[in-house]
Amino acid sequence: MVTEVEKIIIEMVKVTKAFQMYGMEHPSFKSFFTPFYKKITEFLNHNRELKLQVERFTILYQDKEIYKETEKELSIAFRLFRDGIRNIGFTDGLTADELLLFLDIISKQSKDQDIALNLWEADFSHIEFYVVDEEEEEELQYKIPEAPIENIDYDEILNHIRKKEKIDFEEEIKPDLNNTELSYLKNEILKVEKEPILGPAISTLINFLQTEQFSDIIDSLTELAKYSLDQQDFTNAHTIVVKIKELTEKNIIEKFENEMQIASFKNIVDILDEKKFNEFLDFISLFSKKAIPHLLNLTTSIKRPERLNAMRNRIADIAQDDPSPLLNFLESKNEAILINAISILGIMNIPASVEYFEPLITHPSIRVRSALITALAKFEKPELIAQLLNDPEIEVRIKALRALCRIKYPKIYPVLIQRIKSKKFHDYEFTEQKEIFNCLVANGDIQTIKLLKQILFRRLLFGRKRYKTMRHLAAMALAQINSPEALDVLNKGMHTRNKDIRNACQQALTKK
Amino acid sequence: MSIHQFGKKFITLLYTLTRACRIYDLNNDVVITAGQKFYQFINSLFDIFENIEIVRYRDYIFFNKQRLRFEIEGYASLQFIDNRLKHLDIKTIVISKGIEKDEIMRFITIFKETKDIFMNEIKQKSFPHIFVEFKTTKDEIPDFLQNGERTKKVYFKALMVTKNLMQNLWVNRTVDVRSSKRVVYNLIDTLSRDEFGLLALTTIKNFDEYTFNHSVNVGILSLALGQRIGLSKKDLVKLGTAGILHDIGKVEIDKGIIYKPGRLSTSEWEIIKLHSNFGVRQILKTRGLDEVSLYAIVVSYQHHWNYNGTGYPPRKEDEHPIFFSNIVRITDCYDAMTTFRPYQPTPYIPPLAIKVIWAKRGILFDPVIVKAFTQLLGVYPVGSCLKLSSQEIGLVVRQNPGHIEHPIIKIILDSKGKKVDGHTIDLSLDKKVSIINPVYPQKYSINPASYFV
Repeated sequence: MVTEVEKIIIEMVKVTKAFQMYGMEHPSFKSFFTPFYKKITEFLNHNRELKLQVERFTILYQDKEIYKETEKELSIAFRLFRDGIRNIGFTDGLTADELLLFLDIISKQSKDQDIALNLWEADFSHIEFYVVDEEEEEELQYKIPEAPIENIDYDEILNHIRKKEKIDFEEEIKPDLNNTELSYLKNEILKVEKEPILGPAISTLINFLQTEQFSDIIDSLTELAKYSLDQQDFTNAHTIVVKIKELTEKNIIEKFENEMQIASFKNIVDILDEKKFNEFLDFISLFSKKAIPHLLNLTTSIKRPERLNAMRNRIADIAQDDPSPLLNFLESKNEAILINAISILGIMNIPASVEYFEPLITHPSIRVRSALITALAKFEKPELIAQLLNDPEIEVRIKALRALCRIKYPKIYPVLIQRIKSKKFHDYEFTEQKEIFNCLVANGDIQTIKLLKQILFRRLLFGRKRYKTMRHLAAMALAQINSPEALDVLNKGMHTRNKDIRNACQQALTKK
Repeated sequence: MSIHQFGKKFITLLYTLTRACRIYDLNNDVVITAGQKFYQFINSLFDIFENIEIVRYRDYIFFNKQRLRFEIEGYASLQFIDNRLKHLDIKTIVISKGIEKDEIMRFITIFKETKDIFMNEIKQKSFPHIFVEFKTTKDEIPDFLQNGERTKKVYFKALMVTKNLMQNLWVNRTVDVRSSKRVVYNLIDTLSRDEFGLLALTTIKNFDEYTFNHSVNVGILSLALGQRIGLSKKDLVKLGTAGILHDIGKVEIDKGIIYKPGRLSTSEWEIIKLHSNFGVRQILKTRGLDEVSLYAIVVSYQHHWNYNGTGYPPRKEDEHPIFFSNIVRITDCYDAMTTFRPYQPTPYIPPLAIKVIWAKRGILFDPVIVKAFTQLLGVYPVGSCLKLSSQEIGLVVRQNPGHIEHPIIKIILDSKGKKVDGHTIDLSLDKKVSIINPVYPQKYSINPASYFV
């Protein structure tokens, strides 16, 4: 049996080394662990338990040495012995998880590591151990303190206490707990297990800070704020920052507006639930402008559009009326950063930023030019948007047309008429043609109806089929104008002999 | 499932079956179902254990060498089985593999009977898979239970470490956090083996250096209460540490005030009250910011907050003490009341302290925790001296789970007031002797602690 145990210990030493070299997930470790676990469980199945004695550099089984390593760094025995472990026992039923955790604990070589404490905390079901303290190995002297002997009338003292306490000493004590009381206890125990202590601890430290401004408390609260952020507890982090500022005028937020901290939010913004996300936004609203570059970086990782918008709005709030922290990013090579910077500047709506936008009109990225239109629309700068009507990309041109519809730019009217009248117009996609007519209506005047009427009723000898679309677009535009004059034109069109005109007017009136 | 959980389930099923057999005959459906469940469970245990061994030693019940704790949940069943074993004078029952349902049912029918019937039947009838060992007059300690010395070592070690910790803080020296952690772990381990033994040691009071003993005692009392209400080992660590460190803020207070003989002036009291605040700072200095420390910080700050909203330091209306603070509020108060202090030369005797705490439940103390605490210590806690109807003086040496008014006592003074190494009496069983009233041990020059060390 001793030989068998000796083999198990040799395996254990190998496994421990493999663990230290490769870690738990590595195939090499697994190739050592599997036979070791098999061997030890087989032994336990037959013998119920495996009890080992630990000495300074040796491990004994049934008083026989089965392991010896005098090199402190390498010796498992020494590591266990150093922390006071004198016996280790494995019992039948030992699980692989337990054994892995055990190996994890005994493999760590840090000096601060206390194997005994870690084994204790692991609370194993099938691994027992006995630990001694240094003093215990010597002899601990017990001394019972003597009570002071005084000449006292103890019966009188009893009477005095009875009078002083003013309670009914005869009241029967019945401490049986009813179901409600048992539930109360269970609930309190559950709260200890589930509810973090962080909240009460922070309140306590803040209470303390109200009485005394002790720098260690501020440091501790700062640490707790950091911990809270790691735990995604933004409310507590917010409370700490606000309270410290209120009570000490110290602003600890600068500890959190650094690149690393803000980058740590990258993976969570999209997955936080709604409540947590709002708490997160409340927390970052404490940031100063220094955080803007890092926050801008953070926005590039956000996938959910509504979250991205919320973040852009919050960054705009942080920037207040100063666009400078964002302007530098208008030269960024990173498309996402550039787009977000443009968007935030658009939200901020500070006219001085516009001049920085001009060079971007020819930016190679469609997304950038598109973002630019959104921002420019917020600035109500149609002249720059109008420049994008010549953009090579249809998406950009359509977006520009739509923007011009919204913000009204009468100067665009002749440009649009020219475009409609040009031969090239027929080459545009229908969507763009439609947007041009919409834009015409939005920016037109009394002459628009006349123009549309001309287009609608134009007599043609050739190209009737191709012109059908033009009539249709004109009819739709008239319906959109929806004035008595415009409707009059459409009604008239309903009674012409030209089938194309009739159809276009009928469709327009129906859709209206 | 742990051995403890197996044990608890075993006791619950045995209780259900025995109760059912007491009320109904063997053919009743309730009995059949209970018997079937018990039998199936026993069989499943044999997949894990060779034998099933139930040992009753003093007031502890052990299931396969693992002590089963009297917890609030499952209390009735454990108490019932404990009473049965006690009544039948059984020390050990061993059930071995291969037992059939019929043998179990035959055993239960006699297990529910009187001692005479049980003894007679167990000898007469054949129980090939059930071995019963009866208690002898010597009450010999099972091998695995020779804990007394170890319990004392753990207590005195805890005292020494706490003293070193506080003294080092007093003079701004670095403290040994590792030792203080180990102290709590050892106390928890010891409590699970020898709860009454460790509780008995809390009767050790120190007039000169009461703060250290008080801290350890509050730690132990809190742990015992936490264990009784079913806290996990991990949560016990938090509670025990908080209990031991609750008064650590006192190291910032002038020793002249702390150890001032006689009454403290109002301004001195105001200074003493600051210890709750100072505790926060000391714990931060000592232990940093792990979860256990956070509990200790909160408890140190809140341990003078009363249930009705009074107490100090002042608090906002929506601030309430956490559960552990409510526990330490009670254990701290109990130990303080029963301890000599310069401004309290005559402490309350334990039964009086229990009465006061009981009367102030719902005012100063959480009423539910007071109930659990009273269940733990009983009406006459260990270390109480009682005048008996026989005119003898008895020292309470053990609680009697389920009989809080009838503890186990040891006669220490005969009817003439002479010190004797008297016998032990279980007042729940021996009806010839009754309690007249609790007395001050000092009146008879007795130091209860000396009987436990």
